[in-house]
Amino acid sequence: MSPGLRRYIIVRTLLTIPMVLILVSLVFIVLRVMPGDPALAIMREGASEEQLAAFRAALGMDRPLHIQYFDFISGVLRFDFGESMVRPIPVTQEIKTFFPATVELAIFSMMVTTGVGIFSGAYAAKNRKRGSDYAIRVLSIILYSLPIFWLGLMLQMTIGAGLGWLPVSGRLSPGMTPDRVITGLYTIDAILTLNLDLLVDALKHLILPSITLGLVLAGFFTRLTRATMLDVLEQDFITAGRARGLHERVLVYKHGLRNAFIPIVTLLGLQFALLLAGAILTETTFSWPGMGRLVVDRIYDRDFTTVQGTILFFALLVAGVSLIVDILYGFLDPRIRY
Amino acid sequence: MAMTNTELAQNGSINQMIEDVGLLRRIWRGRLWYGTEWYITVFGGLILVTVTIVTLLAPILSPYDPNDFAGSQFIPPGGGPQVLLTRSGESNRVTESYLNEQLVGVQRNKNGTNIAIELELDYLRYQTQSEQIEALQNQEVDSILVDERDLDAIIADFPQLEIAADGIGPSFTLGTDNLGRDILSRLIWGARTVLGVAILSALLSSVVGISLGLISGFVSGPFDRVASLTMDSIYSFPGLLLAIAMAAMLGPGLLNVAIAISVIYIPTFFRVVRGQVLSIKEELHVEAARSLGAKPFSILFRYIFPLVIPSVVVVFSLNVADAILTEAGLSFIGLGLPPDVPDWGYDLSKGHSFLVAGHWWMITFPGVLITIVAMGFSLLGEGLSEILNPRLVKS
Repeated sequence: MSPGLRRYIIVRTLLTIPMVLILVSLVFIVLRVMPGDPALAIMREGASEEQLAAFRAALGMDRPLHIQYFDFISGVLRFDFGESMVRPIPVTQEIKTFFPATVELAIFSMMVTTGVGIFSGAYAAKNRKRGSDYAIRVLSIILYSLPIFWLGLMLQMTIGAGLGWLPVSGRLSPGMTPDRVITGLYTIDAILTLNLDLLVDALKHLILPSITLGLVLAGFFTRLTRATMLDVLEQDFITAGRARGLHERVLVYKHGLRNAFIPIVTLLGLQFALLLAGAILTETTFSWPGMGRLVVDRIYDRDFTTVQGTILFFALLVAGVSLIVDILYGFLDPRIRY
Repeated sequence: MAMTNTELAQNGSINQMIEDVGLLRRIWRGRLWYGTEWYITVFGGLILVTVTIVTLLAPILSPYDPNDFAGSQFIPPGGGPQVLLTRSGESNRVTESYLNEQLVGVQRNKNGTNIAIELELDYLRYQTQSEQIEALQNQEVDSILVDERDLDAIIADFPQLEIAADGIGPSFTLGTDNLGRDILSRLIWGARTVLGVAILSALLSSVVGISLGLISGFVSGPFDRVASLTMDSIYSFPGLLLAIAMAAMLGPGLLNVAIAISVIYIPTFFRVVRGQVLSIKEELHVEAARSLGAKPFSILFRYIFPLVIPSVVVVFSLNVADAILTEAGLSFIGLGLPPDVPDWGYDLSKGHSFLVAGHWWMITFPGVLITIVAMGFSLLGEGLSEILNPRLVKS
């Protein structure tokens, strides 16, 4: 590891600290400081003054704000989000149960996104200013103008409920349970325990949600790939390759795409937030028991600690992922240094 | 066109002459300059002009009050009007005045029931259509009200029945929802809500984002570093989740939802404006102003801000497009507006429950409209970005 790279990694890691601090403070401001009494928001109207006071006392909200704030931060540092108010288990335990579902959905959606996005983006760039280019561009604009949940509803209505080909909700059919939860990703668990029925069932349930989320993100990704490819295809080595008589297809899909790959993957990492936001809506549409559903359901169940813990977890996740993406980028591209 | 100096003087100036050509004609001529981008922009603009006109004319265009239980539940598109059927040979006895003294058979939960109540008829209610027809044949009632759509099937099975009157009661172009509200009216009034919330939230975030961006880019130093890091952090956070948390805390309401959504888009305005200010403040005209002794405040607002406006317009349009989707998402989750405000996202979440029952019209139309309006703003933004920033045009 070169000294430059080491310095880059150290500085980037240190920069994560203020980022986490800012995000956690943001969550604190939204949930505790902003107008709108959490006790009232959670307990709704009709709660008596004693009930509200008890709620505040249970969460330590009757103390001065600065003390609450330090308590909040120290809780996050110890990875202790308190106890769920619906079930007597720690919030971290809840997150452990729900998080794998979101990861599984995210992985399969990314497969759809990258598959569709890279191919159509590269194809559009190759045929720039021709009919197929315009068609792909218009399609991608339509795709990212689609409300994710509505695309999900339409797929449920036609392929799910209408034709009856695929299940429209949940991760597994009723009665189906994994023999042993190892990773929490049912497809991988099924492969590890050699349970073919489980694998098929899990995959069937995954198809519609991941197409929904994947396609909407693919609209964005196609544009990204196209723009990056256009940059790459203007570079000298492409002209040189053309002069050497390389076939245009080899030039675009092999040499061009390979060089466009690094910026594409990095930009994709930056859109991690987009993926998570999309996952929340997809999970709501398909009753997918992931993190998005956890937040939404618990808002209705008035489970303040779980809502708060889940949002904090998302904040840490986002900071962690952007750190990893940036470090990877540092490895891949030696020009990126502080 | 030849013009003497006196004529020119009369018309003011060349600029005045160009003004006189008229805005619409100037826009129309723009297509020769900008090519494809012009068509994209104008297409997006046309969508938005149409939607804006519809929202302004909502009271005239919508056939019903959006919250009115105008018909029975789940009337499919085009359905609603009823046909009055009698036994053969009796249809001439049924006249307007006579109808009041008649006993009419209606079917439970069908629009005929609503109409019978509306017209203050005496009616008997039956569970199914076959019971209803049987009652007519057994002379329990004098006539029955049936759906116009079912007419052909009934006449085919019971040729002895006669049509006494048709087209009774209202027709619902796009059908009704689970409470019997007219979907078309809800869509028309919903456009107001959606546009209002999206534009309001984009305005709120632009005010905050632009001012922070201007200051941050202009003063640099520690303030800039802190502001940039904060904005980058917010930007990296899933926007919808932030909006969900804020909407849940603030409670339902138009302004609350707009505020919750606006937080997501502050960083986009901030980043674009800050970046522009950083490059513009190095330009010659700013240096000239500074050397002439202009104060920092006037440099910022008179020499830098005007050059930022084009990019802001583009970002604004793209953000409204996204805000529409976010608003719909919030309402779909059930955290948006109070239930008496007609809203597309809310209608979709209602329709979701009846999807398996096959009431496709409840979820199809609101989604199509969300897509079209969001697309309108996206196209407008895309086109404008190429027209307003020709230096960025790549392809």
